[in-house]
Amino acid sequence: MFKENLKYAFYTITHPMDGFYEIRHRGRGSVPLAVLFVLLFGICFSANRQYAGFVVNFVNPMAINSFAEVLSVFVLFLLFCVGNWSITCLMNGEGRFKDIVTVTGYAMLPMIFTFIIGIILSRFVVADEEAFYYILLAFGIVWFALLVITGIMTVHNFTVGKTLITMILTFVAMLIIIFLATLLYSLVGQVISFFVSIYNELMLRV
Amino acid sequence: MRKRLNRIVKAASVTAFAFALCASDLSVQTAFAGQNVPYETYTYDYYEDIKYTPAAYIPDGALTGAKIGCGDFASPQDLNTDEEGNVYIADTGNSRVVMLDSSMNLVKIIDSFDNNGTEDHFSSPQGVYKSSNGNLYIADSGRNRVVELDGDGRLVQIIENPQSDVLAEGYVFTPLKVAVDYADRVYVIAQNQFEGIMAFDEAGDFIGFTGTINVQISPWEIFWRRFSTREQRARQQLFIPTEFTGMEIDEDGFVYATNIDSEGEQSVRRLNPSGEDVIQKATTLSGDLTWRLSGTYSGASRIVDVVVRNQGIYSILDSSRGRIFTYDHEGNLLYIFGGLGSQEGTFTIPVAIDTIGERVLVLDSSKNLIDMFAPTRYGSLINQAVGLRYDGDEVQAVECWKEVLKLDSNFELAYTGIGKSYLAAGDNKEAMRCFKIGNNKQYYSIAWKRYRNEILKDNLNYILTVVIILAVLLVVWKKGLKKTVLKRRRERRLSHV
Repeated sequence: MFKENLKYAFYTITHPMDGFYEIRHRGRGSVPLAVLFVLLFGICFSANRQYAGFVVNFVNPMAINSFAEVLSVFVLFLLFCVGNWSITCLMNGEGRFKDIVTVTGYAMLPMIFTFIIGIILSRFVVADEEAFYYILLAFGIVWFALLVITGIMTVHNFTVGKTLITMILTFVAMLIIIFLATLLYSLVGQVISFFVSIYNELMLRV
Repeated sequence: MRKRLNRIVKAASVTAFAFALCASDLSVQTAFAGQNVPYETYTYDYYEDIKYTPAAYIPDGALTGAKIGCGDFASPQDLNTDEEGNVYIADTGNSRVVMLDSSMNLVKIIDSFDNNGTEDHFSSPQGVYKSSNGNLYIADSGRNRVVELDGDGRLVQIIENPQSDVLAEGYVFTPLKVAVDYADRVYVIAQNQFEGIMAFDEAGDFIGFTGTINVQISPWEIFWRRFSTREQRARQQLFIPTEFTGMEIDEDGFVYATNIDSEGEQSVRRLNPSGEDVIQKATTLSGDLTWRLSGTYSGASRIVDVVVRNQGIYSILDSSRGRIFTYDHEGNLLYIFGGLGSQEGTFTIPVAIDTIGERVLVLDSSKNLIDMFAPTRYGSLINQAVGLRYDGDEVQAVECWKEVLKLDSNFELAYTGIGKSYLAAGDNKEAMRCFKIGNNKQYYSIAWKRYRNEILKDNLNYILTVVIILAVLLVVWKKGLKKTVLKRRRERRLSHV
């Protein structure tokens, strides 16, 4: 089953139209596999920051925190899925949350490979050859973007124009979610500190 | 019970850790400041983080006017040294110029001169410069003129009231700082003159402006101005270039000039004879790379003066935090020392900087004294190494760099210096290691390229063999594959039937 799903994921990244259609309508996608891809991409992303060759690596090694980086990839992924789901629900999208997760996860597959190859390549390049490394990374990112757009378009049965508008709105929705989350965070913090101060008053004064 | 014990242990260990941290901090402080300096010495690393270093310069006495024997200074504004090490101080409040010799003994006080038969005095002179031709130039700000006296104090000429089409009608010439190059061209920084430094020829005629700083308007400001009304625009801040603050002429006759840059990008320029900035920049040339945004000690460094030292090294003086930043000719930051305060060796309002040999003199216009600084072994080793590199003697420089690293193993420039010598000697692998520690990507890349070619050359036989074997395997595998594929198809067709 896993092997078949994996094979299908590779089929999808080369044939996104058909691939994503079948994920939506014939249930050929796998959510755990998509999550696994996100995890792998997070690891590759962090590894790139740490292990990319000295010539192309401008990251302060003291500032690298692999756990935080993997986590932030996950948070962004989740934020995108939730944002997209909330927007497409309102815009008569046909896709389920499951499909959005699968599409986004599968779309990261090419980037996993370009990042790994990039890390290896970067350790061999010198100053004039940096371009190869950057082109490779850019190629992966463009592939990812195209996959996400076609994927979202296919699973929701949108036109291209509508998909692009959805993408912009998704971005806005992500910002709103972040805003609400921060608001909630600070409010909860205040409530907690309120109870803590009541507790302190009781313990120290009564 | 156990939980509680645990908590106590935890609390105790945290406190112990905090104490240890304080203690180690103290010990570090004293270790750095073996000479008990009242300020921190530091530099910025490749990632723009502060790295504390051993003291590069230590306070070496402070001189008041009374100590010199000429009566106290009154808010002196400028200090200049000549080639023999004589020191000239523009004692603005007392309207005089004080001359000292290189061991800081009083030579003479110049407060008047013979102006075609009548005795003439200065009024609040803010700048003084001893040119290489032996004449003394005084920016006599209160009388709107620059006075040139020869070595015996006789008047040579007075530069005043410049005439030109580019100057506004009724322009009042108030010189603040003056400098003179080898061709006797006189450069003057004048008050409210935003066009640049005013240049005069040897006869005292105004030639034009040099080193004009272009106004930088960000797209954001342009955007806002588009939406504001005429009244609003009139009330907004004017976009005028910053004024120059200090000057010095280097041995090639180029003008080093400082200006105040609130963005902290570039506060020192090296102007060639046609007025273009030709300074080399490694990062920014504006003192501190990071600063607080509000409150005391906030904002970018206010660079008020520059001193050009030997072999392309120059230091700039920051009046906002009282620091002295020293760069090499490539614009690499070498060391930062100095601070504000009331102890000896710290400043209240530092206004001018100059050097005698390796010693640094800073004039404080509020404390009315000259602070002197002497290099430590660390500071003079860096000066020496940079100087040797400037002169092209990389081998000697490496010895100095190695000594520097013994005192401060974080000094990136030293690793680059040592790496270069390995590179020249052909030890590319060791060079790569040094450049990596020194965070020098450019040279690392050169070393890596050579090392890569070395590896390829040494292992060409193996590499070619592997490639050939792989090619053969590929052909064989392809043939085999074709057979099996055909076989499978045949089988499938059969099964369909």
